[in-house]
Amino acid sequence: VDTFIQLTVDALTLGSVYALIALGYTLVYGVLKLLNFAHGDVTVVGAYIGFGMLQLLGGSTNPVMPVWALLILITLAAMAGCAVLGVVIERFAYRPLRDAPRIAPLISALGVSFFISYSMQLLFGAEQRNYDSFSLCNQCLYLKGFHIGGVRVPLIRDIIIAAAFALMVVLWFLVNKTRTGKAMRATSYDREAAAMMGIDIDRVIVFTFVLGSALAGAAGVLYAIRVPTGASYGFVIGLKGFTAAVIGGIGSVPGAMAGGLILGFAESYTAGYWPGSAGTRWTDLVVFSILIVFMIVRPQGLLGRADIKKV
Amino acid sequence: MRRYRLTLPLAVGALALAAATAAFARPNHTTLAAKSQAISCKSTMKIAFVTPLTGGAAFLGQEQVSWAKYAVKTLAATLGLKIQLVTGDTPVEQGPAPAQALAQKYVADKSVVGILGPSTSGAVVASTKTYFQAGLAHISPSATHTDLTIGTPADPLLGTPAFFRDVPGDYIQGPTDARFMLNKLHVKKVVIIDFQEPYSVGLADVAEATLKKGGVSVIRLSAPNTTTDYSAYVTRVPSDADVVFFPTQKPPDIQTFAQQMIEQGKKAVMFGGDGSNNPAQFKVAGSYVSNFAPDITGIPADAALIAGWKKDNPGKDVGSFGPPSYGAAQILMNAIKLACAADHGVLKQRRDVIRNMKKVRIKNWLLGGSFRFSTKTNDPLNAKFYIFQIQSNGRYKLVG
Repeated sequence: VDTFIQLTVDALTLGSVYALIALGYTLVYGVLKLLNFAHGDVTVVGAYIGFGMLQLLGGSTNPVMPVWALLILITLAAMAGCAVLGVVIERFAYRPLRDAPRIAPLISALGVSFFISYSMQLLFGAEQRNYDSFSLCNQCLYLKGFHIGGVRVPLIRDIIIAAAFALMVVLWFLVNKTRTGKAMRATSYDREAAAMMGIDIDRVIVFTFVLGSALAGAAGVLYAIRVPTGASYGFVIGLKGFTAAVIGGIGSVPGAMAGGLILGFAESYTAGYWPGSAGTRWTDLVVFSILIVFMIVRPQGLLGRADIKKV
Repeated sequence: MRRYRLTLPLAVGALALAAATAAFARPNHTTLAAKSQAISCKSTMKIAFVTPLTGGAAFLGQEQVSWAKYAVKTLAATLGLKIQLVTGDTPVEQGPAPAQALAQKYVADKSVVGILGPSTSGAVVASTKTYFQAGLAHISPSATHTDLTIGTPADPLLGTPAFFRDVPGDYIQGPTDARFMLNKLHVKKVVIIDFQEPYSVGLADVAEATLKKGGVSVIRLSAPNTTTDYSAYVTRVPSDADVVFFPTQKPPDIQTFAQQMIEQGKKAVMFGGDGSNNPAQFKVAGSYVSNFAPDITGIPADAALIAGWKKDNPGKDVGSFGPPSYGAAQILMNAIKLACAADHGVLKQRRDVIRNMKKVRIKNWLLGGSFRFSTKTNDPLNAKFYIFQIQSNGRYKLVG
């Protein structure tokens, strides 16, 4: 039972971060029908902004403020920085290609991904970055927490899971309960009709990028606070987020959340339960097999909407 | 519909053609070897350093290059050579492709007379035959996989006569680590996790064999080398395990593993190989790490050398990957000098450097004692591995 609880906690930690990344993919796809392959790299930029802020605020060994304030501040900084980056990417890499054939912005997205990844390597070096959250408040994030059965759920995991779910709730509220959210949904449903109804499409798209990129920034911090990250990690992180978005149904906000969690559970349970070393060896195989199964059996994803075309 | 019926077979056919072309598109080795040209030993010759300069193991490559540069700067002129050091990047995350591409590049460049590296075992496996067929000596200051100098029954050509290293192989490291666990830590149960790349799997295999011979219960796990979150792997570590042995070339990964062990309240001690030997990145107190080089700051004869390197690299600390790189550059340049002397001031062919590698003798070896190659393999004679324990102040203390 303890192993099950432990693996479930692992899955929730991992899955909630994947869900945040997947939400960025799904928001942009929902509004623009564009696969923003640079999204994983924006996540890494968020992780680096958080790392930079942490250093500015005294680093993990000598922080100038309480840990909770420090974590909130570095997350907000990463969200703000990534939001600005998202706007810049949209303005210069995607907007000029908005009416081009769909392959053009896709290639542009790949180009932006490489540009960000290699620029980061050039500017900050290639070595992995570690927040060293272990050293914060005498390892309190790792040693404190609560118990479920015989399993300790340390504070750092509580923070990650709670923050990720809080952000998802805020996003759900924004998309479903606000005027801007309604405009986003209208634009997603039919961009031209939405424009004719007086919706400022440019504004909606920019807002979508702000939202998606800010979530990527938060995901970057929540990811990197526990594990090392490097300038070239955007591809793998992005691939996992993209897979989660597709499994959940790209374009669907609840689908992205579900997809992220499914991915987290698949990874954790495969590594934890498959006997011998095969489970740990074949984690990625299982994860991407799930993607293939979904593509064959339910291509619109778990909660996605099948495209109906007038023939 | 008909268009689709045609498109699919065409696409499959094109893929099959591409795969077949890739499979058979091997370099024309005879041509490469035959094109060797004589080089005047008074001209500027190039040595290429093939090492990870980006990616998770970049710390290793950057440290190595700084020492190789220093070796070229301080030794080339005294040996009567004009050497230009060029570098090639082999990020560990990208697998064998960069090493293969760089091998083709340096084989084609006739001014390259020797290779430092490749630094990682995977990169050596990917490129050693290409270098051998072109007659290019390559000496690694850190690739420790056992098979690199002796080959395997399945691939006897892997241990090519053109590959050398100035550090001992994992056939020494694995048993050294395992014997330390057996004799000093008195382990009963050990979890070994490999990183699914040649260095990690090879070292894990050798250590596992020795531990099993010693009657230790071994649980073997394996993680893709893109893994960064080890929570599920840590869950698999039994509460009564004594040690987790995780050979990786990316120290932040073993640091994360150790942190997540503490997170889950697991008591087993972490043990890393030479690839994790980095006090700045692996610093969980009580853990162990092995390495092929001692801390040379404790060798009085190296004081001037260290001072000179520090002058060129202000603010940097002396790590354990740099000094063997200085040594490898020293050996390679000495071999070039010997080849030049034998050919009367002209390097008739690059292969002559290979012939002279094992004639090199270095009296005051910076890692202590003297250096020469073994007569049986292209490994250093009488080299050994050292075990360090991480102290609460982060320092590595020599314990075995």
